Amino acid sequence: MAALEITGLRKAFGGVVALGGVDLTIPGDKITGVIGPNGSGKTTLFNVITGVFPPTSGRVEWLGEDITGMRSHQIARKGLIRTFQQAMSFPGLTVLENVRVAMECGERRGAGAGPRWPSAEAILDFVGLAGRGQEEAGSMPFGNLRRLGVAVALAANPVLLLLDEPAAGLSDNEANTLTELIIKLPQMGIGVCLIDHHMTFMTALCTRLVVLDFGTKIADGAPAGVLKDPKVTEVYLGGEL
Amino acid sequence: MEYRELKMSTPNGELGKSAQSANSKTTKEPNHGLKGRLAAHGRLEQIIVAGVIVVAMAALPSLHIGYRFLSIAITTGYTAIALYGLGLQFGQAGIMSVGHAAIIGVGAYTAAMLYVHFGVGFWVALPASIIIAAIAGGLVGLPSLRVAGQHYIIITFCFCALLVVCLTNGGSLTGAATGLDVGSVGRVFGINFDKLDNYYYLVLVALVLSLAIFYAIANSSYGRTLRAIRENEQLAQAIGINIDLQKISVFMVSGAFAGAAGILQAYYLRHISPTLYGAFPSLYLALMVMLGGARLMYGPLIGAIIVSFLPEVMNLNPVDSRIAYGVALLIVILLLPGGVSAGLLDIYRWLTARSRALFVKTGLAP
Repeated sequence: MAALEITGLRKAFGGVVALGGVDLTIPGDKITGVIGPNGSGKTTLFNVITGVFPPTSGRVEWLGEDITGMRSHQIARKGLIRTFQQAMSFPGLTVLENVRVAMECGERRGAGAGPRWPSAEAILDFVGLAGRGQEEAGSMPFGNLRRLGVAVALAANPVLLLLDEPAAGLSDNEANTLTELIIKLPQMGIGVCLIDHHMTFMTALCTRLVVLDFGTKIADGAPAGVLKDPKVTEVYLGGEL
Repeated sequence: MEYRELKMSTPNGELGKSAQSANSKTTKEPNHGLKGRLAAHGRLEQIIVAGVIVVAMAALPSLHIGYRFLSIAITTGYTAIALYGLGLQFGQAGIMSVGHAAIIGVGAYTAAMLYVHFGVGFWVALPASIIIAAIAGGLVGLPSLRVAGQHYIIITFCFCALLVVCLTNGGSLTGAATGLDVGSVGRVFGINFDKLDNYYYLVLVALVLSLAIFYAIANSSYGRTLRAIRENEQLAQAIGINIDLQKISVFMVSGAFAGAAGILQAYYLRHISPTLYGAFPSLYLALMVMLGGARLMYGPLIGAIIVSFLPEVMNLNPVDSRIAYGVALLIVILLLPGGVSAGLLDIYRWLTARSRALFVKTGLAP
């Protein structure tokens, strides 16, 4: 069940080619991982998909609809929700308000657009922030801020969740808890595509890995095969293993 | 040449949009507690305080405080209405404007021109003033979509000056520098609104309506959306909020409030002229909303009351009163980022915490 079809996606910032023609299909019912060295264009890929900036050329198709060049909020309303590398929240609002704002956005998309949460508290329970509803988002420790980021993204009713380095800055324990959380999502009807560098984290979660290097796709397949691919080891994992 | 940056106090105590980085914690130490406390301030408590102030204001005429005080009270009333609009813009959406007086002017001049050129009276002009001022508000808001906080403030300042120039050069259409005369509200339902007491009650009713609308908006999902935009625009977009549309909408709502204030002012003063709606009046409005606090329900009202009544109560001449305002603004920016209303809340909290502690000590725990 292909959901996100990316064809020939190119993004150049002046003379710098961040994405040099990427063809990619991301299913809406599995967990796909995008890995690659720093500067390989992973976050740019997410940015272009979600409309933060338009591509120089190429096409993005979501659920059969051409969304190339649409604005971020319109794309978000179609069920494509992303999180950010820096843990983002609405710092001056309480945790509950953070989630409620996102829920209200998600509800406006109408029924049948994804799993519906019975309440904001239910989402907080799911991500492990139960009972922290009244805390001010801006004063939370980093690990909880990451969880809040996921909670807000889930509340916005995603069909496909794009997570940009969700485990960055987390300890191994926290990364494990996050893994347990993310792995439940496909069964709930939420596909996941995530960028990260923690290899154990990625292999535990992803059914498929895509590797980018200097804006081009150099590998795409099951994690086991990809991680043994000499092109990948040379560029990313450090020579022969 | 020394370059000094004008620090405009925003609800976050930061410099508008450019200082907003993802969860920057360094500039927010004094505000952590403030936001927590504001968030926990019960809705009921806010309604009670606002209600008490309104009841006190309603009682004023029966106290026979004299013409002068009643006049100031009327001015305070319709100014507060405009301030609630500014409070929505600033307190909820985080966008400050020093051009708000110009929008009030649009409301006032709409009413005056309708009267002078078409003989249209107060009640018919009222919706017209509100709608046209709302449109003006939306138009003035357009540049803010492209330009960050402190730069946008300059644009609003310019718009204000521009409006004054247009009005002054409008010939007989706008009454030019002399301005326009406005009729009276006259008798409606047997009430003679030429009597000052009755006009005061009219303004008070409008004020209570404004309060109710402000409260409804601040506590609705629309209010939450606005606050989300204030807190983190990028994230707001990523979850599906159309920030441009929402910003223009709050500008229009703010304009509607200003329009109502404008027509009430026009029919009170019976004569309006361009200087009433220039840069200085706008700065006073910004001063009031920062002084009083933009987020709590009674904040803008307290701001209007302080600025309007302070010179009277302390018997200050215009020059001294401006010095007093300046000092008060400095104190607020440095010590009370949420305004006087938030400061009063702190005192209340401190007192109730102390009394609770007292109860516990004496074994009389509630």
